[in-house]
Amino acid sequence: MSETYYHNMHKVLQVQHLTEHTFVVQFERKEMPFIPGQHLVVGKKGDKEFRQYSIYSGLNDPHFEILVREVETGLVTPKLKQLKPGDELEINGPMGYFTVSEQRCLNHPIVMIATGTGIAPFNSWVKSFPDMNYKMIHGVRKAEEAYGIDRYKKDRFVLCTSQEKSGNFNGRVTDYLQKAYFPSNTLFYLCGNSEMIFDAMELLKDKGLNTNQMFAEVYF
Amino acid sequence: MKYHLVVLGCQMNMSDSERVKSVIESMGFTHTDNEDEASLLGVLSCSVRQKPIDKVYNRIHVWNRQKNKRNIITFVSGCVLPDDREKFLKLFDFVFPMSELGEFPQMLREYGVASPLSLSQDRESTHNVEDVLSEVETKSKKQSLLNPLTKYSASKPVLPNNKDIFQLWNVKPQYQSEFEAYVPIQNGCDKFCSFCAVPYTRGREVSRPSAEIIDEVVQLMKNGYKSITLLGQNVNSYGLDRDEELSFAELLTEIGKAGDSLQNPSWVYFTSPHPRDMSRDVIEAIAKYPVLAKQIHLPLQSGDDKVLIKMNRKHNLDRYRESVADIRELIPQATLFTDIIVGFTGETEEQFMNTLQCFDEFQYNMAYIAMYSPRPGAQSYRWEDDIPQATKKDRLKRLSEKLEEISAAYNHRLLGKELQVLIRSTERKTGFLSGHTEGKLVTRIKSKDQSLIGKFVKVKITESADLSIAGELVTVLKDKRIPVSAD
Repeated sequence: MSETYYHNMHKVLQVQHLTEHTFVVQFERKEMPFIPGQHLVVGKKGDKEFRQYSIYSGLNDPHFEILVREVETGLVTPKLKQLKPGDELEINGPMGYFTVSEQRCLNHPIVMIATGTGIAPFNSWVKSFPDMNYKMIHGVRKAEEAYGIDRYKKDRFVLCTSQEKSGNFNGRVTDYLQKAYFPSNTLFYLCGNSEMIFDAMELLKDKGLNTNQMFAEVYF
Repeated sequence: MKYHLVVLGCQMNMSDSERVKSVIESMGFTHTDNEDEASLLGVLSCSVRQKPIDKVYNRIHVWNRQKNKRNIITFVSGCVLPDDREKFLKLFDFVFPMSELGEFPQMLREYGVASPLSLSQDRESTHNVEDVLSEVETKSKKQSLLNPLTKYSASKPVLPNNKDIFQLWNVKPQYQSEFEAYVPIQNGCDKFCSFCAVPYTRGREVSRPSAEIIDEVVQLMKNGYKSITLLGQNVNSYGLDRDEELSFAELLTEIGKAGDSLQNPSWVYFTSPHPRDMSRDVIEAIAKYPVLAKQIHLPLQSGDDKVLIKMNRKHNLDRYRESVADIRELIPQATLFTDIIVGFTGETEEQFMNTLQCFDEFQYNMAYIAMYSPRPGAQSYRWEDDIPQATKKDRLKRLSEKLEEISAAYNHRLLGKELQVLIRSTERKTGFLSGHTEGKLVTRIKSKDQSLIGKFVKVKITESADLSIAGELVTVLKDKRIPVSAD
C-alpha cells in the first residue's frame, strides 16, 4: 500500500438498483488510492453503525462503487438503499489484503470463486486489470443475481444457478468445483459466505491442492 | 492539585497511561491512588468487553454525584465504541481519542480549568509542559481551538481517526516500572475478526516511525531496562501501511543490532502478533539476535478451519502449522504462548476437539483461554450466542487441564537446569520472590532480598508445577546473559 488514508465524508453520486434487494452505491472517490480487492468501512453520515464493503469499482474509475445486498432487518443496508445523490457517507479505509499482484497474475492461472455479492472485489480486479488470465465461477440462486455479468469475458465466466436452470451450470458453486479440473499451480480466490468458503476449500484440498494456494475474503 | 487515573483493559492501555500521566503531570498535577482527594479524574476505557464499560459507567456516576460537593473535572479516553462515546459525551467533561492527548492541556485551559502550573509563575515548570509535548505537532494544537465538548458532534466523523496518533507517540512516557517497559509501535487493526470490536475503537493500522521506536528501545536498554515489550494490536503488521517504512522483521533486526552493540542488556518481546503476518524472516530475526527474547505469542483462537473462517481470522491451520514449524526449526528453545476462544458461536464438540488436539500438536507453554462472549460492536454480536454456558465452562476446563498437562511435562524437564530469571516482585507466600525466565515461565525463588527486584539472576530449578517452576538463587547477574536450554 502506498500511503495510509484516513476516513472522510464522501457524497453519494447515484444508487443503481440491480434487483429488488441488491444495489450499487456510487460515491465520490476524492482521488483516494486503493488496491483492487480492498474494502472500505461505510456508514451513513452521523450514524453509529458501519459495515465493510469491498470496492466494486475499478482502479481507473473516478468514483467509488460498492455492491450491497439489503438485509431487510439490518441496521445499515436499508439506510444505504434509501440514499439519494448528495447524501454523505462516512468512509474509513481502504484496507485489507485480498489483493492480487501482477506477478501472481503472470505466473499462475487465477480462479475466482464467489457467491452473491462476493463478486464485488473480483469485479474491481477485472475492471482494473483487463488483461488478467482468470476464470470466474459465480454462484447465485437466479440469473438476475449475476451482477455485472457483461463485464466478464464469456469464455472466462461460469454462472452457477442453484434455483433455476438459467446459468452455465445448474447447481451450487461447490457442485461445479467437484466436477472441474484445475492445473496444480492454480491460485484460488474465494469470496462469499463462510460455509461456501469452507466447503470449497475442503473440496479443493480433496483434489490435492494446497491451502497455501487459496485466499479468502469472508462476507457475513 | 491531584489527579486519579483508572486504567482498564489491555497492555496497550497500560502503555497509553504512561503517556497520559506524563501530560497531566506536566501541567503540575500529582498522582494519587485515592480518588476522593483528586480534582482531575480520568478513565482509559476498554470496549472490548462489557465488564470494563460497566466499570466506566459506575465510576462516572459516582464522580458526577460528588460534583455537588466539590470541584472535579472528569475525562475519558482509550477504546470507546461510537455508541458509548455518544453516551459518555453527556456524562464526562472531556471525551477525546488517545491521538488527541497532546491537546489535553489546551482543552483544559479553554474549558477554564486552572491547572497547578497555570496558577504558578514558575517558568521552569512551565517549560516542563513543553518538554513533554516537545515533539507534538504545533499545528494540531492550533486546530484544537474548538470547544472540546463539541469535538464529537454529529458533523464530525464517528469512527476513530488515527491520523493524529503520531502525537501520542511523541509524548514522553512516564514508565511505571524501572525495569519493564512497553513501547508502542503500531496502533489499530485492519483484520476485522468477527468476534472483536477493536477496528471500530482503535481505528485502522498505523505504524509508528521506526526511528522513534529504535531510539526509545535503545534509551531503555541504556537505562537498564531488562524487559521491553513492543506493543500493537497487530504488532507484526508493522510497516504494511507505509511503503517507505521498515517491515517488522527489519525493525526487529535493527533492534537486534542495537542489542548486540550494547551487549544485550535486555529481553525484547512483542505482542500481539497475528499468524497471518508471522513470516519466516521475523522468526529468523528472533533466532539471530540474542536481545530478542525467545518467547513467541501466536494466537490460534481455534484449532478448526471452519471456525477460523467464521471468526474471519485470515489464517488457517496449515498456515499456523508452518509458522510453528519455522519456530521449532529456527528457535528450538523458544516457548510458545497462545490465545484461545472456546464456545464461539456454532462451535461443535468436534470442532472443539480439533482445538484440543492442537494443544498436543503445538505443545504450548501458556494459553490464555477465554469463553466466548459477544462483544458490542463486533460482527458476531449480531449472531446467536448458541453455546450453553455450561458447555463453554466444560471446554475451558478440559483445555486448561490439557495445557497444564503439557506445561507440567515441559517444566519437569527443566529440573536441575540453571536459568536466567528476571525478578519482578515479592511472592504472596512470605520469603519468596517471583520472576520469569526469558521464555516467560513464571519462576519462584527462595529469597527475602527485595533488592533483587528488577535484576537478572541465575536460578537452579529445583521444583516444577503445572504452570510454574521454582528454584534456588545461584548468583546475581551483572546484566550478562546465559544460554537458555530448555531441553
